[in-house]
Amino acid sequence: MMSVTARSGLLAQYLSASSQVVATQLRPTVCLAAPLSSKITLAPRKENLTTESLKQLVPKCGNVRVSSGPHGPMQVRYAHTDIQYPDFSDYRRQPVSDPKTSSEPSSVSRRAFTYAMVGASGVVGAYAAKNIVQELLSTMSASADVLALAKVEVDLKTIAEGKSICVKWRGKPLFVRHRTGDEIETEKGVDVESLRHKEHDDERVKRPEWLILIGVCTHLGCVPIAHAGEYGGYFCPCHGSHYDTSGRIRKGPAPENLEVPEYTFSDDTTVVVG
Amino acid sequence: MFLRTVYNTIFRRSSAFALSILVGAVFFERAFDQGGTALFESMNKGKLWKDIKDDFEKNDNGGGDDDE
Repeated sequence: MMSVTARSGLLAQYLSASSQVVATQLRPTVCLAAPLSSKITLAPRKENLTTESLKQLVPKCGNVRVSSGPHGPMQVRYAHTDIQYPDFSDYRRQPVSDPKTSSEPSSVSRRAFTYAMVGASGVVGAYAAKNIVQELLSTMSASADVLALAKVEVDLKTIAEGKSICVKWRGKPLFVRHRTGDEIETEKGVDVESLRHKEHDDERVKRPEWLILIGVCTHLGCVPIAHAGEYGGYFCPCHGSHYDTSGRIRKGPAPENLEVPEYTFSDDTTVVVG
Repeated sequence: MFLRTVYNTIFRRSSAFALSILVGAVFFERAFDQGGTALFESMNKGKLWKDIKDDFEKNDNGGGDDDE
């Protein structure tokens, strides 16, 4: 109580007065004054000072509690000098094993060791995290057998100049056409600006004599017919789209050129599509 | 002193510390993977394809020539 009031500025004077009342309100003194009318007679002192004999010296009027100071009851701690302190030398690092020497000179090397341990676990953790993420992502990609079927190999030796073949690739028709020199020349000379879908012939072939296309009309998905139509390339029979010998839309409803898939020439006579 | 140099160059700044962890992880990955592969191959010596390859390829060469 006192500890609260003592801090409240202006009232401190009054409260300090009341604190004195509190401080003097020791039960022994009050008890001695008020309830006992007769003279207190103490028991004769005994020779041996036991707990019991000392207790009889204390006035008997209920509990005796001494409180003083701003914080209420106080305890007295007796310092024990016989406590055995545990030996921490097993847990100390070698440079600080002697508690009487300064730890400062060895602090950098001890910190360096600690950081090295943290860094090493960080390295292992980064490796583990990278592999976990990689494995997790690889479960989302296509499996090896699917990827193997996603490619098709076409032998170009069997396709004579001017001929076109159709193979199945990922469920779609794939056109491979061996263009003649005239066709190549014609397609290279076409004015790009006059086209609906502006693509030069060079953008659509890797080797000019080999034209590789996905045989799906960009209009509504029919399969065009090779060597047909006004431009000699492909002609879609469904709605009459005419494609030239570069697979570009020239006439009819289709909005875009025939799609060119990803392909590579594994050697001079083999093309791998996919 | 060695540890003091290491501490001042790598551990003192968090950026350098993180960078060194990442760089260390690259090298650790390579060493760990190659070490694991080497251990696996040494424990399975004689059972792997590269160990028994020669026995089959001698026969295969003859068959391949016949096919062509």
